[in-house]
Amino acid sequence: MPEATARLRPAPSPGSTGHFPASGEELATSRVRVLSVLVEDGQNTLTKIAGAVRRRGFHIRGLSIGPTREPGRSRITLEVDHGHAEADQVRKQLERLVDVVEVEDLTGDEVHNRELVVAKVKTLELARLIQRGAKVISTDTDGTTVEFSGDRDEIFDFVEELARHGIVDVVRSGPLVMRRTV
Amino acid sequence: MILEALEREGVEYIFGYPGGANLPIYQHLHEHPKLKHILVRHEQGAAHMADGYARACGRPGVVFATSGPGALNLVTGLCTAYMDSVPIIAITGQVNSTQVGRDAFQESDVIGATSSVTKHSYLVTKIDQLPRVIHEAFHIATTGRPGPVLIDICKDVQMADAERVTAERLHIPGYKLNGHIDLNHAKQAAEALAGAERPVILAGHGIILSHAEAQLQELAETAATPVGTTLLGIGGFPVKHPLSLHMTGFMGTGWCLKAVQNADVLMMVGMRVDDRVTAKLSEFAPNVKTFIHVDIDGSEMGKNVRPHIELVADAKQALAAMLPHIGTLQADRGRWLSQIDAWREEHPLRYKHSNGQLQPQDVLIDMYRRADSEAIVVADVGQNQIWAALWWNYDRPGLFINSGGAGTMGFALPAAIGAKFGRPELPVWCVAGEGGFVMTAQELSVAVEHQLDVKIVLLNNLSLGMVRQFQDDFYGGVRSQVDLTHMPDFVKLSEAYGMPALRVEKLEDIGLALDAAERTKGPFLIDFRIDPEANVYPIVPLGKGLGEFWEAPENA
Ligand SMILES: Cc1ncc(C[n+]2csc(CCOP(=O)(O)OP(=O)(O)O)c2C)c(N)n1
Repeated sequence: MPEATARLRPAPSPGSTGHFPASGEELATSRVRVLSVLVEDGQNTLTKIAGAVRRRGFHIRGLSIGPTREPGRSRITLEVDHGHAEADQVRKQLERLVDVVEVEDLTGDEVHNRELVVAKVKTLELARLIQRGAKVISTDTDGTTVEFSGDRDEIFDFVEELARHGIVDVVRSGPLVMRRTV
Repeated sequence: MILEALEREGVEYIFGYPGGANLPIYQHLHEHPKLKHILVRHEQGAAHMADGYARACGRPGVVFATSGPGALNLVTGLCTAYMDSVPIIAITGQVNSTQVGRDAFQESDVIGATSSVTKHSYLVTKIDQLPRVIHEAFHIATTGRPGPVLIDICKDVQMADAERVTAERLHIPGYKLNGHIDLNHAKQAAEALAGAERPVILAGHGIILSHAEAQLQELAETAATPVGTTLLGIGGFPVKHPLSLHMTGFMGTGWCLKAVQNADVLMMVGMRVDDRVTAKLSEFAPNVKTFIHVDIDGSEMGKNVRPHIELVADAKQALAAMLPHIGTLQADRGRWLSQIDAWREEHPLRYKHSNGQLQPQDVLIDMYRRADSEAIVVADVGQNQIWAALWWNYDRPGLFINSGGAGTMGFALPAAIGAKFGRPELPVWCVAGEGGFVMTAQELSVAVEHQLDVKIVLLNNLSLGMVRQFQDDFYGGVRSQVDLTHMPDFVKLSEAYGMPALRVEKLEDIGLALDAAERTKGPFLIDFRIDPEANVYPIVPLGKGLGEFWEAPENA
């Protein structure tokens, strides 16, 4: 499953520890900022954020959205490649948007960085997956569905492991990042 | 309800065009005699008129357009205003909220199409949102770094009944105004300027938008520091002031470019430091040890040039905060200022006028002699724009209007019309090339209908002059698709629109034609047949550093 693994490769991040980015070349071009963005939950909010990112030549590498405790507000976690611009431009450009209430740049900070993977694999020998912390959600005739959450490196390793079991389908939630000390 | 809200915001003029999706608004227009609606001939004209109006008088310009093609015709005008930070409120009609997404007749995703050229935008699908949205829109358009705001209102909302509501108090948590000045940085900036040997200040549109011209002049004088302006900063510092470097950038004056390239401290105020200002970035101001950047928009810091000292603040407040810290200057400025004077002598603005042809500068010099500082010049884009920028001594803000950031051909005529509505007491001259002029020439009807004293000066070189010059100078002399010999007879065209016009081909006729224009009430056009080979100088070749500017050949 080389194709699947290539697609699943996590975005390079200067903030993360461990063995990623994998190659020296990726290290040199790793320009990804991790941002936590509090937004007004409007019809156009996501388009505007995506538009501002695209317009500046940046590139979204990871994205997740969820509601907050405040009604009408959502939190977006973004991993953005800032291209040739200064690293801080991503935060500044997002702050210009009226729908954006607050932007925190968490790149390089002490964070909890979690992602959820749901995968269906052909094998029934699940010991190695369960050993890594995967939970079985269901077992069908065409395979077993497991869920797994972990930090960037754990997800990367887990997905590699999945490939050995024959992936039928896999989805990932995108990054969720929270500062360790609030 | 929309119209009431506009009245409440103090709107005087609306530049607009009706259509299916905004008819409910038009139905009630006559009930609001305080709102004067100007029927344009193309929606792009409406956006530029609102823009010219706003730039001339400082109040936001208001635009109406219908859905689909009507709204999309605004895009270029919104972009023009957005790039130059001009406050506009565009109110577009949208299909019924129940029709949205069904590809209804004249439905288009206006918010999507305009997001990247507006400061903010709203889609209004419910009547109770409307008062808040309109009030917010005016606030956002006019405060901080100004810019266009679009309100897309569904047709059923326009028709909905609502009790009279007054706008509630503003509460926009995501709208950040950089009002807070870091006084420490202001002090550092002042000390850097005072401690410099060869300081230069460059001033952009921000000076004008924040009304900081008095503070700028005081700072320049206190710190004995010369000031150049960007194309949009023109008027922010009097050209005839002894410390003036006139215009900077890749078509700036030789003495300004010399000063920038030799400066040791460069303070940039209210400007974006774009490629037209820096030319080749790696060679921009190579001797500067301390860059100071003042701008109200924090994202400008380091976007193109990384400053050593940054002040994210309104220009007026920032300059005022610096002033008390200038103190005594460390270095004697005599040498630096006399060096600049020497450059001014060595690299004056000049033009060739020995071939018997009418030169654009001849026209502008005569116009300036008459108008002095009591006229607004609205330029189009191209050579005409740079000539109008350089060959006139603007001494205060609001007298020179042009599309800088977007460089939108066709801007001048509608913007001049808007400017005249905004400042009826001042003569308004529209200076344009024939190429840009025909892009929005249909708005002549508006000038005639309202008998506006807008005098149009065509600098007609029978070609897309600026492009022709670039091709001659930087693209191997291959002239490609720049010939404009097939154009209407502009005198007859004007007459067809119902306004008088003259053609001038000889130097000695300039005065007579300008006399006639000044004498005539209402619009007037002069088709000046200028030297088709006339070029803009100085100019920095594409891809080169500012120091490598070319100058006009000396008179033979
Ligand atoms: C809408 C638009 N299209 C194209 C251009 C590119 N452009 C810049 S200057 C210029 C030539 C302008 O010719 P003209 O209006 O005759 O003015 P001149 O330069 O001769 O004074 C062109 C085509 C532009 N700026 N705007």
